[in-house]
Amino acid sequence: MKTKLINLINAAFLVLVLAGCSKDFLDLEPTDSISEDEVFGSYVTANSALMGAYDQLSSFSFGGLYNPIMADIMGEDVMINSVNNWNWFIPVYQMNVLPNYTYIDSPWWAGYKLIYDANKIINNSIYIPDATPEQITNLVGQAQVLRAYAMLKLAEMYSPAYAKNPEAPSILLNTDSDNLDLDSGYKRAKLSEVYAQIESDLIAAASQLKENDDKGFFDSRSANALLARLYLNMGKWELARDHAKLAAKDITLMDVNGLFTGFSTRNSETIYAIAYTQEDNNTYLSLPSFYWPVGGYSSMRADKDFVNKFSRSDARKSLFLKLDEIDKDRYLIVKFGHNNAVGNAERICIRASEMVLIEAECEAELGNYTEAQDALYLIQKRANPGASKSTATDQALINEVLLERRKELFGEGFRWQDIKRRQLPFVRNGDHWVKFSFTAQDPDYFRLTFPIPQSEIDANPALTNSDQNIGY
Amino acid sequence: MKRLKGCLILLFLMGVNFTFAQSITVEGNVNDENGQPLPGVTIVVAGTSQGSLTDFNGYYTISAPSGNAKLVFSYIGMQTLTVPINNKLVVNAVLRENLEQLETVMIVAYGTTTKEAYTGAAAIVDNEIIEDRPVSSFEKALQGTTPGLMVSNSSGQPGAEATVRIRGIGSLSAGSAPLYVLDGVPMSGSISDINPNDIESVTVLKDAAASSLYGSRAANGVILITTKQGKTGFTKISFSSQLGVSQRISKGYDLMNSTQFYEQSWMGLYNQAILDGKTVNQAQDYAHESVKEVVGYNPFGVENPLDSNGKLIPGTQVVTNTDWRDEIYKTGIIQTYNLNISGGSESTKVFMSLGYFNDSGTTLGSDFSRITNKINVSHKINNFLNAGINSHLSYSKTNAPPGGSGGANPVRSAEVINAASPVYDGAGNYDWGNKAIFDFNPVGLAALDKYIYKTKRAVVNIYLDVDISPSFKFRTSAGIDDSFDEGLNYYNPDHGNGAGVNGRSSASRSDNLAWNISNILTYSHSNDISLFEVLVGQEALGSDYSVLSAGVTDFSVPGKPELVWGAKPEQPGSLISSWNMASYLSQIKYDYDSRIYLSASARLDGSSRFGKNNKYGLFYSVGAGWKLSSESWMPQWSWLNNAKLRASYGTSGNNNIGNYASLGLYGSGANYGGFPGLTPVQLANEDLSWEKIQSSNIGLDLTLFSKLTTSFEFYNRNSDGLLFARPLSAGTGIGTILSNLGAMKNMGIEASFKYNLIDNDNFYSSIGLNISTNSNRILKLTTEKIVSGTKLLEEGSSIYQFYMREWAGVNPDNGKPMWFVNADSDDKDENTLPDSAFEDPLGSGKQVTSEYTDAERKRLGNSLPKVYGGLNYDLSYKDFDLNFYLYYSYGGKAYNGDYVANMHDGTQSGTNLAVDAANAWTPNNRYTDVPRYVINNTDQSEQMSSRFIEDASYIRLKNINFSYQLPQNICDSWKLSSLRAYVSAENILTFTKFKGFDPEVAINGTTNNNIPGVKVVTVGFKIEL
Repeated sequence: MKTKLINLINAAFLVLVLAGCSKDFLDLEPTDSISEDEVFGSYVTANSALMGAYDQLSSFSFGGLYNPIMADIMGEDVMINSVNNWNWFIPVYQMNVLPNYTYIDSPWWAGYKLIYDANKIINNSIYIPDATPEQITNLVGQAQVLRAYAMLKLAEMYSPAYAKNPEAPSILLNTDSDNLDLDSGYKRAKLSEVYAQIESDLIAAASQLKENDDKGFFDSRSANALLARLYLNMGKWELARDHAKLAAKDITLMDVNGLFTGFSTRNSETIYAIAYTQEDNNTYLSLPSFYWPVGGYSSMRADKDFVNKFSRSDARKSLFLKLDEIDKDRYLIVKFGHNNAVGNAERICIRASEMVLIEAECEAELGNYTEAQDALYLIQKRANPGASKSTATDQALINEVLLERRKELFGEGFRWQDIKRRQLPFVRNGDHWVKFSFTAQDPDYFRLTFPIPQSEIDANPALTNSDQNIGY
Repeated sequence: MKRLKGCLILLFLMGVNFTFAQSITVEGNVNDENGQPLPGVTIVVAGTSQGSLTDFNGYYTISAPSGNAKLVFSYIGMQTLTVPINNKLVVNAVLRENLEQLETVMIVAYGTTTKEAYTGAAAIVDNEIIEDRPVSSFEKALQGTTPGLMVSNSSGQPGAEATVRIRGIGSLSAGSAPLYVLDGVPMSGSISDINPNDIESVTVLKDAAASSLYGSRAANGVILITTKQGKTGFTKISFSSQLGVSQRISKGYDLMNSTQFYEQSWMGLYNQAILDGKTVNQAQDYAHESVKEVVGYNPFGVENPLDSNGKLIPGTQVVTNTDWRDEIYKTGIIQTYNLNISGGSESTKVFMSLGYFNDSGTTLGSDFSRITNKINVSHKINNFLNAGINSHLSYSKTNAPPGGSGGANPVRSAEVINAASPVYDGAGNYDWGNKAIFDFNPVGLAALDKYIYKTKRAVVNIYLDVDISPSFKFRTSAGIDDSFDEGLNYYNPDHGNGAGVNGRSSASRSDNLAWNISNILTYSHSNDISLFEVLVGQEALGSDYSVLSAGVTDFSVPGKPELVWGAKPEQPGSLISSWNMASYLSQIKYDYDSRIYLSASARLDGSSRFGKNNKYGLFYSVGAGWKLSSESWMPQWSWLNNAKLRASYGTSGNNNIGNYASLGLYGSGANYGGFPGLTPVQLANEDLSWEKIQSSNIGLDLTLFSKLTTSFEFYNRNSDGLLFARPLSAGTGIGTILSNLGAMKNMGIEASFKYNLIDNDNFYSSIGLNISTNSNRILKLTTEKIVSGTKLLEEGSSIYQFYMREWAGVNPDNGKPMWFVNADSDDKDENTLPDSAFEDPLGSGKQVTSEYTDAERKRLGNSLPKVYGGLNYDLSYKDFDLNFYLYYSYGGKAYNGDYVANMHDGTQSGTNLAVDAANAWTPNNRYTDVPRYVINNTDQSEQMSSRFIEDASYIRLKNINFSYQLPQNICDSWKLSSLRAYVSAENILTFTKFKGFDPEVAINGTTNNNIPGVKVVTVGFKIEL
């Protein structure tokens, strides 16, 4: 009896010992995430990774809110309330930021995450076993536009203007996320190198991608539009004009009603919009939440001097309201509305009117005043049928185009870069609660460039505090 | 203790021969000095392995090979007695108490030993320390009891666990919590599910010799929890109850009242206008006009309450002056009821308990209640099989509002909502308009929102002991630890977090099932002077955590949190996360002549958690003990009762990382435009491996003058291959990668003293003191410096080294903040002075700047205390007993982030201020440490700097307890076995310079708007039938 039992126990012991040895026992995989190999093991999953990259672009700390809102409050036309705003974006509006601020930190990291996501798709799509060549081209092309979009935004925010110094230290340049070098880090590339990378991505994508009817995704048209922006920054007027024309080709501009209804869902002239849905949006951290007078933070206001720049017959003047019960001192803005639910609105990132204005600016620069005046008039007469076509030339015409950009594109995230790329003086007056007046030659101009985040300098072996932007 | 001894003695008989030889049979009774029978005394025929045991009446029989043999009587806690048989058939014995009290049985890793034979560093805390304390969880009662054990209780949320660290911080980022083992089952859920009343003793395993049998889980030490067992004899029923009243531990720094805040805001507006270039008159007008908007309310009875200097016009009626702390904090009631039943026969022993604990909490919306049940049964099947089951069941329910810096944290609300904001509006409804956290009225939210958490827990293990032969013994055991958790968060549709979506409810159900199976074979052989023991075993364990979560928004019916009431479902989720481990272990022990004790152990662990290149790890230890006082060459000093030297060396590992941390992964949920999306979430690291800890320990135990018991330990723990989420450049896309990054050293000295001042029939008085020091130093990092929040990690420094700009004070000329430039600091490479630098007007002789970014960050001490420990005093006279514990912690620093929020200098204009802020700089108050107060201030004065680093040293009267035991004769006449009543006070006094509620902040020295700790006064009684 006793011997039997001992044998039994010994047998049980061995079984358990052997069970412990089996290989599967120690190789477990999660159920809520998948390995990289699996992602690029089929077209379906790889395409989902592309959706993930767009989702990254849509995050509130990048394309969804921070990029557009900060680009306007770093200007002279709109402002964020000093009260009833729970301190959102206050230091950005005050243009008094530190390298550790979340407004500096978050867009940087969100942008680089997007670049990483895009790199993975660009470098690994060719290995997808079941993808057709067209599918691969489409994946890679869209990822290239995503990467270019992120790099251009980051370069605009964190480096001085290309117009000022193309050789200035810019952002980190990483196009390979499969062979990461963790120990040597990344130096700040020259602005010209970053622009060359963006240019090559966009040229490749513009030629490889087809047009997509769904404007929630990048296509050949949006690649051309971004090329137009890139060349505009670089002062390459002919190229900028050509690509702006390609981007807006055959598009019918929306009518005047679109100016009032066209910013919560994509309109007829949309070239790219972040496709938020009712189920998937950033609710309070969205443009309508900050801009629309009710239903969110509702803390954006327009400067009275800016409102006064619109002629009385300009329909866009009606985008400003004074409502004593909400704010008895300053103008409210009714350009970006909610669509049934708080924050439910697509964000129009690129639209044809901007392309027309790029065309106008470039033609004016190139001395083709008639073409410039025609393009400018196209925008002006939509808002004001009684407007008369400009007869100005030279710098006066350029100034008119720049003013029209302010009137047409305010709130859409352009003003900061327009000041910077043109090295315009920064003059904030009117009923702003933080005022400034300085020119591109004044030391204060450093305020138009964000600092490199402290988290980056601390983590990146190739950077020290000496690599920080001037003024910080 | 005796009950424990009684049941453990059985275990001691492993290897004692039960077979009978043909020879003389001797019987007899064994009593103690008072004539009471002693059950469970071991009787061995000297020079043989023949033995027996006394029964419940102290009676024994034994067969001896001849009438000339000698019998050896031994019993734990008693002096061993050798009696020659001299051909008698009846041999009675009286055992005397062993005053040295050294032969205490210790529960240790995978078995038991005696304190005498133990070569490692371990401490036992018995239930006397834990019982009677108004704590939900036993670890809170351990604070100050054991040197080297750091218990930090940073939240007063009822039911919250304390942070426990043994011998410093062994890890940079992997978990540093010890492994808890409940009756042999490694626990994977919360330890606060355990009823402290069920605990018989707690063993803290500190060094490698003690803990390395637990291998890859032992790096942070191991805490073994042993629950009460039944014992043979009359059934004992005991009932105990206590009732406590709790309050937040201290008042904290004063906050402004509504008048002070209104005046301060006026000043901020005035200063803002003056800095904007306005005239004095314009500035006054501006301030008068805007002050109500900034504060949110005019708390006075008149329209224009302030004079032209911004001071309240005397005689103005104050209508609103809310003390938000009074609104949030309340008096809590703590109730405990425990019913224990224990008893058994020769073959079956049972312990059962039923417990109820309820803490109504000191903060609005927070409470905790728990029901526990324990059943421990052991049964002797026949003369070689013994089986048993230990089961623990519990159900707990917690209401816990969120912590941190979110709007819904009531603790933060109490600090930041200004006193001019009313709780209720004129009509008696909640008022939601405060300027600090708009739409978050904490009193209203406590009534409307719900944060309910429930846990059902079962920890059950079964075992079978087989006495294969006198020398071989085998135990197989299997255990599970299953926690089933439910959570429900409900945000009401009208205010706070749920307002934007017309209400939100989120529910989750999770099941964490941990299992383990172990098979242990032991061999032991002893002769007259030596004992040899070998243990080999195998263990397999794993855990599966599964969770299901769902949420809805858009509620039509208010106050109904169940998901069915919401109209719009949100993305649900489910996942399973698992890990497994397969292990082999072995241990050898050799005792020689009760003088020399040697031990060695080894364990091989294979874990699913680590990179494919590093699945297995081998851990080992060696230890030795040398009882100097038993050596013949030692002079027989009368004052030296005992001296024992111990030394050990060994390795262990830390596997506290996520289950899949080595894999490169894409996660779900990155959906876009209605399409499902994937996103990279983690970088792969195939080399990811265990943290390896090498620890050495030297200990000396001394008993002097029969009265002073002391113990000294010196330890050194070197951790290598530390797991750390290494921060990466954004260029790598994902901000961190988990890596085996560095090495760290913890070195310390521990000393404990216990002195019996008086010990006679009526009087007993003793005092105990323990002292621990620990120095923590990073030895190696593959990255030169890692800045993380308030801290800098670098070689040669402590893990919790503060690194920030150094506050220089306030410039008396303009009220701007100043920081020391510290140009020679290595924060920036160049040592040139910035343009903004100027000589300190306060006369330090150093260069200062008012531009925050121009100052360089500096190393500013660390958060870990230099010395900490406890002092306890015990006095008993006849049936009265008084004892108290003091806990002290000296030399730690804390960055008081809570205080920062109340010293914002105008950046957070509607947010309440500490009264200290009223001392802000003005042209008439030039020498102050508080900068000028300006609405929408851009001076950056509240940015992270040494301005907010404080000394967090403190001494606390942790517990004082006075009890009365009803005399035995009265008990007898009432047919009671005993009755005891007591009054106890917990955390009643604290001496500290720290400004916040409680210097006992998080172990890394930061505050996080946690519910402050509590002080409790309790009355209770325990009755035994």
